Amino acid sequence: MAVCVAVIAKENYPLYIRSVPTENELKFHYMVHTSLDVVDEKISAMGKALVDQRELYLGLLYPTEDYKVTFPNQLCSYGYVTNSRVKFVMVVDSSNTALRDNEIRSMFRKLHNSYTDVMCNPFYNPGDRIQSRWAAALLGLPPSLCSSALLKGTVLR
Amino acid sequence: MSVPDYMQCAEDHQTLLVVVQPVGIVSEENFFRIYKRISSVSQISVRDSQRVLYIRYRHHYPPENNEWGDFQTHRKVVGLITITDCFSAKDWPQTFEKFHVQKEIYGSTLYDSRLFVFGLQGEIAEQPRTDVAFYPNYEDCETVEKRIEDFIESLFIVLESKRLDRATDKSGDKIPLLCVPFEKKDFVGLDTDSRHYKKRCQGRMRKHVGDLCLQAGMLQDSLVHYHMSVELLRSVNDFLWLGAALEGLCSASVIYHYPGGTAGKAGAQRVPGSSLPAEAANRHRPGAQEVLIDPGALTTNGINPDTSAEIGRAKNCLSPEDIIDKYKEAISYYSKYKNAGVIELEACVKAVRVLAIQKRSMEASEFLQNAVYINLRQQESKRKSSEAKTTKKQGFWKLSEEEKIQRYSILSELYELIGFRRKAAFFKRVAAMQCVAPSISEPGWRACYKLLLETLPGYSLSLDPKDFNKGTHRGWAAVQMRLLHELVYASRRMGNPALSVRHLSFLLQTMLDFLSDQEKKDVTQSLENYTSKCPGTMELITLPDGLTLPPVPFTKLPIVRRVKLLNLPASLRPQKMKSLLGQNVSTKSPFIYSPIIAHNRGEERNKKIDFQWVQGDVCEVQLMVYNPMPFELRVENMGLLTSGVEFESLPAALSLPAESGLYPVTLVGVPQTTGTITVNGYHTTVFGVFSDCLLDNLPGIKTSGSTVEVIPALPRLQISTSLPRSAHSLQPSSGDEISTNVSVQLYNGETQQLVIKLENIGMEPLEKLEVTSKILTTKEKLYGDFLSWKLEDALAQFPLQPGKVATVIINIKVKLDFSCQETLLQDLSDDGISVSGFPLCSPFRQVVRPRVENKPVNPPEGSKPGDSSHVKTLEAILNFKYSGGPGHAEGYYRNLSLGLHVEVEPSVFFTRVSTLPATSTRQCHLLLDVFNSMEHELTVSARNNEELILHAGECQRMAIQVDKFNFENFPESPGEKGQFANPKQLEEERQEARGLEINSKLDIREAHPSLKRTGEASVEGLLNQLVLEHLQLAPLQWDVLVDGQPCDCEAAACQVGDPVRLEVRLTNRSPRSVGPFALTVVPFQDHQNGVHNYDLHNAVSFVGSSTFYLDAVQPLGQSACLGALLFLYTGDFFLLIRVHEDSTSKELPPSWFCLPSVHVRSLEAQA
Repeated sequence: MAVCVAVIAKENYPLYIRSVPTENELKFHYMVHTSLDVVDEKISAMGKALVDQRELYLGLLYPTEDYKVTFPNQLCSYGYVTNSRVKFVMVVDSSNTALRDNEIRSMFRKLHNSYTDVMCNPFYNPGDRIQSRWAAALLGLPPSLCSSALLKGTVLR
Repeated sequence: MSVPDYMQCAEDHQTLLVVVQPVGIVSEENFFRIYKRISSVSQISVRDSQRVLYIRYRHHYPPENNEWGDFQTHRKVVGLITITDCFSAKDWPQTFEKFHVQKEIYGSTLYDSRLFVFGLQGEIAEQPRTDVAFYPNYEDCETVEKRIEDFIESLFIVLESKRLDRATDKSGDKIPLLCVPFEKKDFVGLDTDSRHYKKRCQGRMRKHVGDLCLQAGMLQDSLVHYHMSVELLRSVNDFLWLGAALEGLCSASVIYHYPGGTAGKAGAQRVPGSSLPAEAANRHRPGAQEVLIDPGALTTNGINPDTSAEIGRAKNCLSPEDIIDKYKEAISYYSKYKNAGVIELEACVKAVRVLAIQKRSMEASEFLQNAVYINLRQQESKRKSSEAKTTKKQGFWKLSEEEKIQRYSILSELYELIGFRRKAAFFKRVAAMQCVAPSISEPGWRACYKLLLETLPGYSLSLDPKDFNKGTHRGWAAVQMRLLHELVYASRRMGNPALSVRHLSFLLQTMLDFLSDQEKKDVTQSLENYTSKCPGTMELITLPDGLTLPPVPFTKLPIVRRVKLLNLPASLRPQKMKSLLGQNVSTKSPFIYSPIIAHNRGEERNKKIDFQWVQGDVCEVQLMVYNPMPFELRVENMGLLTSGVEFESLPAALSLPAESGLYPVTLVGVPQTTGTITVNGYHTTVFGVFSDCLLDNLPGIKTSGSTVEVIPALPRLQISTSLPRSAHSLQPSSGDEISTNVSVQLYNGETQQLVIKLENIGMEPLEKLEVTSKILTTKEKLYGDFLSWKLEDALAQFPLQPGKVATVIINIKVKLDFSCQETLLQDLSDDGISVSGFPLCSPFRQVVRPRVENKPVNPPEGSKPGDSSHVKTLEAILNFKYSGGPGHAEGYYRNLSLGLHVEVEPSVFFTRVSTLPATSTRQCHLLLDVFNSMEHELTVSARNNEELILHAGECQRMAIQVDKFNFENFPESPGEKGQFANPKQLEEERQEARGLEINSKLDIREAHPSLKRTGEASVEGLLNQLVLEHLQLAPLQWDVLVDGQPCDCEAAACQVGDPVRLEVRLTNRSPRSVGPFALTVVPFQDHQNGVHNYDLHNAVSFVGSSTFYLDAVQPLGQSACLGALLFLYTGDFFLLIRVHEDSTSKELPPSWFCLPSVHVRSLEAQA
């Protein structure tokens, strides 16, 4: 299950970042921030590929064992980049259940759809922080916290 | 082996390790001076061969690492150079002994050693010794480098001999088993004769020889040996050594492929001309060439005679991709051994360096990830061992902390190397935190701070607030804020409060949008705490390592939205004299108006504001500010920053309520010199931090220009009046601004003095003063001079020095026509009017209705029947133009306006005016119906008349005998005829002039005894054409002389029976000739009962004719008609003189012929 979801703008600043254990939010900030190195590297590596053939899903970025001291669980961060270079980073707790790649992909796809919905909002100014709680669903938060646009994306177990 | 060398790189495999150490007491400075010189000799071409020897110098090397020397020969200390001070021969043996002790430490592996003695001179120093060199002092030692070269050559000889010795070992001989320290116990009791064991020995020895070849500069040879060793060891599953052999292979290949080195700068330094491109690597290395040229050398080395067959294969060393694969393999083998952690770690580091050169960041990061792993595991193992060795625990832990710091920094550097700057920053920060870990007894705050500073680029954070001015901040605010907090804390613990204040203000300024309310409070609280000891300044802080921290102005505390330079208040606003301005324009251009000039001016105006400030006067700038903080913000010492003119800023302190809306703040200052002043910004002190905020750097600020001209000083006048200030403010039409308003309430006709005191409160003398007045347009008809003054007294005091007072007296006189408004006057039309004065018996009485009849009956709108409706207001502006001092020389003046608000209450009404002819034709009676509209008694008096007392609401008639007026010789106002061409206007003008004349003659005064006020009552408004005509002196003057006496009012006396001479004299004052006409004298008697008896033929007889004929009287001519009367009886007789006109003189008004009636009293003839 995802413990942290982040949307990062083209210029590599966070548009949205939310994590479930709120007491250690900063740790997740660091984690997502450092994951960007890998995302950058992966993007620059596939820059040559044709746009339509490009795989948006970047796969595993970091198995973050170095956080083991803080979190008893093993956390992995996965990355996804849209064609407009907006990055999604998801930190997944893989200690109990080993998630298959396909499951991660589908989570990202839902995230992408929700992000598209947000961008369709005429009152949203591209580049601003995303205020809505649309990504909360992926974190398994109660549906009451989720905006209607995201209710479609059900919690993955 | 417990101390990893994180700086290791693949090329280090080909170096010889030489330890340089001081012995005895050698100052650090001197030691490192020599150390530097020694380490400059890092590579040497040996003898005349093309082989190059590389030396690695260390001034510290743990002896336990030396124990791994057999495993990888570059870990073996082969040379020792000791440096020592020795000043007397007495100390020499002791010193030499120490050198030997030092040698013992690395003794097992040393090839050779040297002792450098400084300071010793004399007998001992002159002995030629190979292992000891003497120098008189640290300056005088040119031969150090030479010595080192010799030393290295001697090392080479040993190395070469060892290499050959190992290589030429007979295959039949028993090859010793080389092993690493922890293996030693494992091989006890092993069958040394087994094939397996032999192969193991062979393989390890091959690997060892490979190492030696690599060190000796024979790259190609070493590759061959490594390959063979790999094969041998693989077959016996000797994984540790297999790993070492693979790593050796990798190292050799790396050296071959990347002659520039993989360690970055250090590597480049090693090969001086090594900015070679990759293709240069394809050239054969010197060592390799030799192998090819001299195959005989290979045949001699054979452990296995088959080596010659390997040459071809060895020539092809590993490809770049293979290097990484082999590294991976090697590391996986190392990882099987817990005790080889350091080896594994170092291998990882080396591999990462290689990958960095290959620009394969992703794989490099995997290696690094692995390195992170190793550390953790290693620590665990160490912890176990430390538990065992409790005695060493203390020292161990300290080492471990330092090691951690080192490990994290090196990880950070490596991440940096592969371009993972965020990860690098992360580890650098971890390292920084490690420096001040609670387990460390003496936290290294300085180091922590330094490391934290190095993380700034990784978090895209610059410490220059200017970078944050462009729009909203976009970054990892949470992470950046944490870092800033840590910087603040570290700098505080470092004992540099100025730094922490700077960082904290930076945090507050740039991260304000991201701070929660509580955080804002906390941050400001701590900022205030810090600044109480060390106030924040606007100075650049330069750190010892050269980094500069630009000042942080608090442009968001408070946020300024608009800056507006304010004009001076209207009374102080300087104005240019018109004439001078005109001259300026005319000199600029021959045209009165040119669109091009106008356009240019418009452009200028964008920058420069249209008004001027005056030197020495307080000038204001208005800022619209708001407080973004959730608590009250106290801004102290807020003032202006200006340039161009010396400006004395008068700082203000303000307190803004929490999250206030836009709040106007006025900053003031006094320009001290003249010129053009530019307002660049403002300065504040908030939370003890001084800020200079420049407008250019403020985003989203609205300003309407910030440049203003300052003109020379002008005097300043303060006005004070005898009248109370008025709450009324005039609404001037022309846009004049009025500084002071006074109001006064007057009764109509009253005159009041307004005493104006002008005090020069400025610094300049007052040299010029002009007073003008302007009556605001009013519908009321105003008679006489409303305002009048005399300036002479005031001007006599000029120039008026500062602090002096000039007095100007203004007379206010109000004369308004109230008659038209009064509806009540209509009710007072005819009856019930008490008449005083003359008897109303004259048949010539003419009643003239007041003007009201000509007006509409309905009262005008404003005047409702009520008390206030009677009040009329008059408003006027008095302008005092004044100038002086240098500003006057420049042609500027100031204008002080005084608004005057006068409420006029009606006092006396003349409800009717009429005339009665007097007995004399030169006089007449003016009858005025006077009405007191006030609630108190008043007296009215005309000239030469007794006072008439009028009670409230009373109406009385008063009669005034007046001489008739001769309007003909009343001068027409000259020059105005052209303007008032309209005859109607002319007529009005004339009538007004007449009114004035009559009024001044009448001089009717009113007095309010209860109020002790007096005034003038005016009849001007009442006089109309008809009345005027009656008051006018007829142009034809009739004088009736009875018995040679003019007979006007008194009865002329005569005796019965005597003829009485009657002369009617006509004087023509009109400009034309009159006539012809006839006069008839008719005598009559008045019976006093309304009956006139004209039948007097018996009583009066004429001597001569009773009718006279006059032909014509020329202008200014006179003619007389003479006759005589004979009264036969006594009695009172009246003579009526009638005029019979001709048709030609019809146009003459009848009043011209108004002849007085003559009263003759005939008396008894005297005896």
